[in-house]
Amino acid sequence: MKTHSNPVLVELKQLKKVFVADDIETHALNDINLLINQGEYIAITGPSGCGKSTLLSLLGLLDNLSQGHYLLANHDVSNLDRDERAHIRNEKIGFIFQAFNLISDLTVAENVELPLTYRKDISKEQRKTMVADALAKVDMAHRVNHFPSQLSGGQQQRVAVARAIAGNPSIILADEPTGNLDSKNAQAVMNLLDQLHQEGATICMVTHDPRGASRAKRTIEIFDGKIVADHENNQQSAAITV
Amino acid sequence: MSLAIELKYTARMLLKKPMFTALTILIVSIGLGLTLYAYSILNNLVFKPMTMNGDTPLVAIEAKYNYNHQYRMQADPFHLLQLDQQLGLFTDVAYYYEGTTIAGGAKSTNSKLQQAKKYNATYTSWNIFEIAGVQPILGRGFAPEDFYDGAESVFVLSYEIWQRDFNSDAKIVGQTVSLDAMPSRVIGVMPEGFSFPQYAQIWQPLGPDYLNPIEATRNSAFGIARLKPDATFAQVEAGVASFNTQIEPELMKDFRWRLSDNGEYLIAKPYKHASIVQYYTIFVALFVVVFLILALACINVSNLLLARVNERLKEVAIRVALGIPRKRLILQMLWESVFICCTGGLFALLFAAYGLEVSNEILNANFTVENKKPFWWDLSLEPSAIVLLIVSVVLMIAITGLLPAIRSLSNDFNAVIRDGTRGALSKKAAKAGRVLVISEILLSCVVLVIATILLVTGYSAGTADYGVDTDKRLTAQVQLSPEKYPVRYDTEFEYQDRINRSDMYYKLKETLEAMPSIEAVSFMSQLPGRGEGTSYFEIEGRAAQVWNENPYSNNELVAHDSWRAIGMEIIQGRAFDYRDREDGALSIMINQTIAKQFFPENDAIGQRVRRVNARGASDDWYTIVGVVSDTFHGSTMRSSSASYNSYHSMDNIGPWRLYVALHYQGNEAAIKQALMDAVNTVDPDLGIYHIQNYDDLINQPMLLVLSVSKIFLLCGVIAAFLAASGIYAMAANSITQRTQEIGIRRALGSPDNDIIRLFMNQAIKQLAIGLAIGVCLSLLLVSTMTNTLVISNTSYVLSLICVPLLITAMVLLATFIPAKKVIKMEPSDALHHD
Repeated sequence: MKTHSNPVLVELKQLKKVFVADDIETHALNDINLLINQGEYIAITGPSGCGKSTLLSLLGLLDNLSQGHYLLANHDVSNLDRDERAHIRNEKIGFIFQAFNLISDLTVAENVELPLTYRKDISKEQRKTMVADALAKVDMAHRVNHFPSQLSGGQQQRVAVARAIAGNPSIILADEPTGNLDSKNAQAVMNLLDQLHQEGATICMVTHDPRGASRAKRTIEIFDGKIVADHENNQQSAAITV
Repeated sequence: MSLAIELKYTARMLLKKPMFTALTILIVSIGLGLTLYAYSILNNLVFKPMTMNGDTPLVAIEAKYNYNHQYRMQADPFHLLQLDQQLGLFTDVAYYYEGTTIAGGAKSTNSKLQQAKKYNATYTSWNIFEIAGVQPILGRGFAPEDFYDGAESVFVLSYEIWQRDFNSDAKIVGQTVSLDAMPSRVIGVMPEGFSFPQYAQIWQPLGPDYLNPIEATRNSAFGIARLKPDATFAQVEAGVASFNTQIEPELMKDFRWRLSDNGEYLIAKPYKHASIVQYYTIFVALFVVVFLILALACINVSNLLLARVNERLKEVAIRVALGIPRKRLILQMLWESVFICCTGGLFALLFAAYGLEVSNEILNANFTVENKKPFWWDLSLEPSAIVLLIVSVVLMIAITGLLPAIRSLSNDFNAVIRDGTRGALSKKAAKAGRVLVISEILLSCVVLVIATILLVTGYSAGTADYGVDTDKRLTAQVQLSPEKYPVRYDTEFEYQDRINRSDMYYKLKETLEAMPSIEAVSFMSQLPGRGEGTSYFEIEGRAAQVWNENPYSNNELVAHDSWRAIGMEIIQGRAFDYRDREDGALSIMINQTIAKQFFPENDAIGQRVRRVNARGASDDWYTIVGVVSDTFHGSTMRSSSASYNSYHSMDNIGPWRLYVALHYQGNEAAIKQALMDAVNTVDPDLGIYHIQNYDDLINQPMLLVLSVSKIFLLCGVIAAFLAASGIYAMAANSITQRTQEIGIRRALGSPDNDIIRLFMNQAIKQLAIGLAIGVCLSLLLVSTMTNTLVISNTSYVLSLICVPLLITAMVLLATFIPAKKVIKMEPSDALHHD
């Protein structure tokens, strides 16, 4: 696993995000400059309302930035149209949400397969193999035909992780991945992220749980929409168990 | 106190979304208003048993309805009497038949009757007023003595005629009036509005041979019976069936002609039903359609309230978490429904009352010319309608209030509070939503298809080519007095008597044609566009093996030189002339369609035909002397109408009543006056009535169906509005509920078009199911009407293409708009949508 010596995957320059409601502007993010290299494992932390989830949404192209530039793998993705953004989300980004966000009408396998169905370069057979591999990686291969409602929270989040990694994305964005889980399941999910990182995945995780943040190799602290600290985590703290 | 708080809260919730409140109230008003309106129509016209002033229903007893000619058939009074005695189920039975009587004439002392007037006469047994339970307001009703052989001719006046033509003369009783050129004494005046049994303007006694007959006769009358308190209609029906079987051998022997083509004779029907036998299925269809619309309204209101509950799930969850008792929560949900349904109910009452008032005006206008509106066709909101409204409102409150309450209570409140959403809709909710959308599609499809079919068919009938020129044509009925122009049957004078009658028409024709503004005059027993009904004929040397496999045609009597006045022309052979006037002359003219189909070698002239029916073949062979252009007798909308027509010279038949058609120049009012003047010149005792232009004459028989069609159209438009709003609300609600799912799909990289396609595909599946069932169901309903109506191909094509297309567009648009709206949200917003 390499970090700083690896090529830059994400580059944010002078990024701003302003929300306007009833003619009142709220500056959610201001002057964000950030570099993320391939293979990094980053935790974004900060108090509630500081803008960390907004930053993750912008990184995941789930929202438009108000100002600045966003380069993903050296491509400027700041001003793409909706379908181009959808295309990049589908191929380059994997999401893990706090509320799992599995579709209740679809089975475990179908949920994992869902992002792959939007890709024309993958055949049906390939899809099946990728789904099976992803589910095997999160140890959920035995639950392929279950519906989300038949799974525990931890299992649902493991399926969500499988869905995020199934398409071999360039970066995995996790928004409070353990926020809805008990400590045992939270540890299991964090171990899974560790494992993915060990295998070379780039992970960017929003959390306000210091124990979760300490599992990452780098922590970015946000306060009032600005990055106030960006530091490497030492291995000691990373070794703290949850 | 808590009630006041709840009411205040309910008012605040309703005022918070005034558009939603207004829309929901509008839907309730429309659904209930239409139900109330249709119920009142159906109840007044068809379903409410006729009791008049008695306690038990009246029953009509008559011969089997003649679908071929579309008229009610009378029965032998002897058989009616036998049936009454054998069944013992009636308190009383009266006999009657209806006709027209010409009152007054040049010698009348009443200035209003110096121009003879036509009255709708009911010739009746003496007990007609007793059976109705209504007695005259002046003078007396009939007594058995009035029916004795040689008794003085007497009659009873209706209130309206007494007012209109006799200036409400309080001393009218005892005065004599000329009826059909014979003096007749007024013995009574009936109360206002009384025109029993249907549209009587005067009542005259039946002939003495009608009452207490001791054997079967050729006389015919309708029967009205009042059920005994302990008798049921089912018993009557069973008794009539058994009686028919019993007398069949006797009928087969001497009175085979009384039986219908399939051997049926007497029938019993609820009184009102008997008068609209041919349209009964249309009324039933209307009832079904209105019921479907009420169902649509209920579905829509439930759906709107459900959508509202979905919006308020979090609020409800918080209330439950704070410990609100379930009963109180349900009550709170019910209050909104109570307000919406009660307000809607009040508006519904106003809508229905207004609709009925307009309908009364339309009905009155429709029947102005012929004055043949059955007396009970006076639409009003009856107490039972108010009861129906109250019951419907209560049911609607229960359905539209309880469903959302149950929905909100069955939710996992903990989950809702903890995390508002879980992706897609629950399976049950999604399935219920799909079922509701399919129901809306199929219901609106049924209503719209039926409405379109009836309307297009009605419109086609009104604008169809009947083979005649109707522009600048005035029509009327001319009636000779049978007393003044008697035919002494089976005597040496018969032929001359008939010629005398015919000559009266020719005299009138000559007088009219001498007027500069009149181009030509036609006399026919029924003018093209009217008439209808067919009889079989056998072509000499080409008899079919079975009588009813012979060709058939409509038959009319016609005066010489009648074709040009209505734009018909002779294609081949000659017109009727002096040769057809001779005693025993048997000539016939056929129309072009018969000639082409049965005489393709152009050899019709000189061929002979004769009438055939179930009873055998006539001995009289008619020689074809000419071929005339095609016309259509009867409305193109009715199954009894005919495109095969043959004509007989009226000269040696001397009918007592004919239609006249005038081709004129100038204005219609002046020609009406000219016609009246001509009648006065020729014979002031001639009856001339039903004066109207040719287009109105053609439309007259279908006015009821057209009126009902317009109600169907109204239903169709309302159904489309309800379906469109309902499907939109359903789609919008379902899509809004899936906002987070859409957010997930988009976060995972789904292009916008894929999301739109996902919803569109679901909508298309629902459309396919709804339309398939809807089209089949509507065709099934329409097929029940084809006994009496000819449904035009155009209407099938239009309804089966346009209606599904309209609904498809409606559903796709209703799906596309909310889907597009949700798609516009950024995925990050959609993911956190609450």
